[in-house]
Amino acid sequence: MENDLHLSQHISKRFNQELEEVRNQVLKMGGLVEQQVSDGLVALLDADMDLAQQVVDQDKLVNSMEIEIDEVCTEILARRQPAASDLRLMISIIKTITDLERIGDEAEKLGRNAIVLANSDGGSREYIELRHLGESVKEMLKRSLNAYARMDVEEAISVIQSDKNINQEYDDLSRLLVIKMMEDPRQIKSALRISWCARALERIGDHTKNLCEYIVYLVKGKDVRHINFDEIKQQIDI
Amino acid sequence: MNNMTNNSLNETHLKNSTSDKVMYSETYSVTEKVSASLKRRHRKESRFKAAGLLSVLLGFCLVFILISDITYKALPAFHQHWVKLEISFDPSWLSLKDSGESSLLSANYRKVIKHSLYASFPDVKGRKDKRKLFKLLSSNAEFTLRDKLIADVDLIGTKQPVWIRLDDDVDSYLKDEPEIGAAGARVDSQQAGWIHTLQIQNRIEKRFNIAFFTHGDSREPELAGVKGAFTGTLLTMLVTLLLSFPLGVSAALYLEEFAPKNRWTDIIEVNINNLAAVPSIIFGLLGLAVIINIFGLPRSAPLVGGIVLSLMTLPTIIIASRASIKAVPPSIREAALGIGASKMQTAFGHVLPMAMPGILTGAIIGMAQALGETAPLLMIGMVAFIVDVPTTVTDAATVLPVQIFLWADSPERAFLAKTSAAILVLLSFLLVMNISAAILRKKFEK
Amino acid sequence: MVDMSSAESLLSQDTQINGTVGNCYSNDAKMSMRDVNVYYDQKQAINNVSLDLARHQVTALIGPSGCGKSTFLRCLNRMNDTIPICRVEGGLTLDGSDIYDKNMDPVLLRARVGMVFQKPNPFPKSIYENVAYGPKIHGLSSNKAELDEIVITSLRKAGLFEEVKDRLDAPGTSLSGGQQQRLCIARTIAVSPEVILMDEPASALDPIATAVIEELIDELKEKYTIAIVTHSMQQAARISQTTAYFHMGQLVEMGETSQIFTNPAHKLTENYITGRFG
Repeated sequence: MENDLHLSQHISKRFNQELEEVRNQVLKMGGLVEQQVSDGLVALLDADMDLAQQVVDQDKLVNSMEIEIDEVCTEILARRQPAASDLRLMISIIKTITDLERIGDEAEKLGRNAIVLANSDGGSREYIELRHLGESVKEMLKRSLNAYARMDVEEAISVIQSDKNINQEYDDLSRLLVIKMMEDPRQIKSALRISWCARALERIGDHTKNLCEYIVYLVKGKDVRHINFDEIKQQIDI
Repeated sequence: MNNMTNNSLNETHLKNSTSDKVMYSETYSVTEKVSASLKRRHRKESRFKAAGLLSVLLGFCLVFILISDITYKALPAFHQHWVKLEISFDPSWLSLKDSGESSLLSANYRKVIKHSLYASFPDVKGRKDKRKLFKLLSSNAEFTLRDKLIADVDLIGTKQPVWIRLDDDVDSYLKDEPEIGAAGARVDSQQAGWIHTLQIQNRIEKRFNIAFFTHGDSREPELAGVKGAFTGTLLTMLVTLLLSFPLGVSAALYLEEFAPKNRWTDIIEVNINNLAAVPSIIFGLLGLAVIINIFGLPRSAPLVGGIVLSLMTLPTIIIASRASIKAVPPSIREAALGIGASKMQTAFGHVLPMAMPGILTGAIIGMAQALGETAPLLMIGMVAFIVDVPTTVTDAATVLPVQIFLWADSPERAFLAKTSAAILVLLSFLLVMNISAAILRKKFEK
Repeated sequence: MVDMSSAESLLSQDTQINGTVGNCYSNDAKMSMRDVNVYYDQKQAINNVSLDLARHQVTALIGPSGCGKSTFLRCLNRMNDTIPICRVEGGLTLDGSDIYDKNMDPVLLRARVGMVFQKPNPFPKSIYENVAYGPKIHGLSSNKAELDEIVITSLRKAGLFEEVKDRLDAPGTSLSGGQQQRLCIARTIAVSPEVILMDEPASALDPIATAVIEELIDELKEKYTIAIVTHSMQQAARISQTTAYFHMGQLVEMGETSQIFTNPAHKLTENYITGRFG
């Protein structure tokens, strides 16, 4: 599928290298963020304070990577004036790293909440639900990054589709937490924390969906944001 | 296995280092070689420059020698010696019946001159000596008197000092005083004595030779002038220019801008090029056979000469014009066509003016060729001895180069200077023609 | 790293041109070309090209050298007539009337469809004469005052008047390259054409002069229909509303400029505008 973009076929070899480099950097940043989310989740569920702190600290690295990639993109735009797929690549990268950075921020939130929650004990039910939600989001993020690496539109679309499930799970978890809070007001504090974490995971799901939309834009040149799934399918005729 | 890789690694390392050395020494030797050959190249260049300068100087020297030699030889032709005689316009000597024009024209001026001359030298007796004495004067002397008398009838019966041309032999003698009796000298000691007497009496004067520019040809060198030949050349050139320039330019314009490029135009092109190389005398024969014999135009006329020379000049003008039209950038044609000019408007409004300097250069080369041409004109009779200055293109005439040829062929010593002087006139004509073309070209180049 | 041969083999899968991709027709066409074929002797330079020039729009023709875009442009005002071996087939119409019709005089056609060339080519005459030449030969003005008016208006439209108003008698060749090209544009619009064809009008100019010309083209499209051949993709992207990509004498793709430059439909277009092998 990567052949669709022919990133390595420019007459200018230097341009090829630049594009390849920036793409690799994005993948590296994606990997970093994925790790951050995964670690945040582990820290949260296993009450691992050290790991939680590590997640929080890692956000700085992610932020600096965003700035770095932004600069590289600006330079390529200024020097190469890319058109067509190259232009779409640049645009999608600039947008992708913004969403990745946001995902990093959400992971950081997981970390911070994990530090607070480590000292309290919550019911196991919501943790199970949270773990389930977290695993789904992690899986979604992983798939989207894979789709990005392989420019796999079909995979990206199925990831977009899976965001619905995430939202569903989040709604379920929220309902559970509300019931819990009504049952035992002493738990409200920790339940809210868990709710925030769930919220963060749901946001990560949304950002991940964005990433996949950028992949569709990059490969097919079609903007599939803010439209429903059937319209997406119609637009890119799969 | 490990050993082997190590070995091969070492080898490649060695190879690399040697190839580096080779590279290094190569770049080093390239600089060496270049600087070594540089000297040789510079020497070559300066040698070529020196040779070029030398050839230019040589050419310049030769031209200078030629011009100065001709000028030196021509100088005597611009002066003439005149003698002052006391002429008494005695009606009886003149055998005048009345003072009417016809009788003045047929009066006996020779007798008046003879009497006046003999009166100046009373000791000359005998018919032979008297004839020798009379021979000092130009044969044209009586006409000088006649003109004077017709201009002023009241002179009849009076005694007047009149300046009269000396004969060309005397003139030559006065100009370079050869030894009496030397080979080629046409003045004997007795005549020399008379001349000295006249000189002592201050009766001989050196004057600017206006006749050279105002007279036609003559058998008498002291009377011969270039006006006839000059006018003939002017008329011939005019005919040539009027015929060959418009014809040549239109032909070139047609061939370059309008004619389809096919085998026929190729054939025409080849033929035009060949025509430029045809010996000029062939054109003369053509003129004689076709223009004079078939079309019945008058012989020796500048009209016929001009037509013949046009034939000769046409190829030159066409070739030069075509080259010059070809050199007009196509962008100009496109510009004109692009705003809706027709082909004709483009060709005449834009292409032709831009090609004009080149066309003029070609035309001037062609005209200069025609100016110096004699051979074809010999064939159509422009070599005849013609005294009258032509006034129209159908009058019999000759041209400067033919005049030069005729004079160079004449035995009289004085014609030598005349020949050189005529060459100078021809060269000046050429110069004026070139300068006017240069001025025109400047105007078009603006 | 992809070496050339594998790149070529990669390309060959996609380089089939099967007709034109995209929308090459317009609802409001000033000129319509249908199935145009152009031959130089036996060699075919243009192969079955159909496209419309939309009224009051700038249509950019892009493509690699020798792709036939200039040849095609020159068919539109029959400049190819001057090349004897050139043969044009197909339906080319200006406002519905066939421009290769026997009754269509190329001189009249060229007055209606003006052309600006790659190299600024002012006549070696004064600025005034340059602009006045067209109106003069077509008899567009009845007196000197009218001619003056035409010249001044044209120079003004071409954005040159303020720069040259004090030296209308100076030779056109004394102007700078950009000014010369604007003079050529003024000369073209002096005959009030309906369509202006431009063959790489800014390729010999520096960026500032190019920007001025581009700005001018943008203004001119209000009154004229413009077709421009350009080698600068950025230029085509900047000034045109519609872009047509030619390749090997065929129209590969035509469409809205924004679409062509962000998401071209054909691989060849993509390769060309992104600077890939091809």
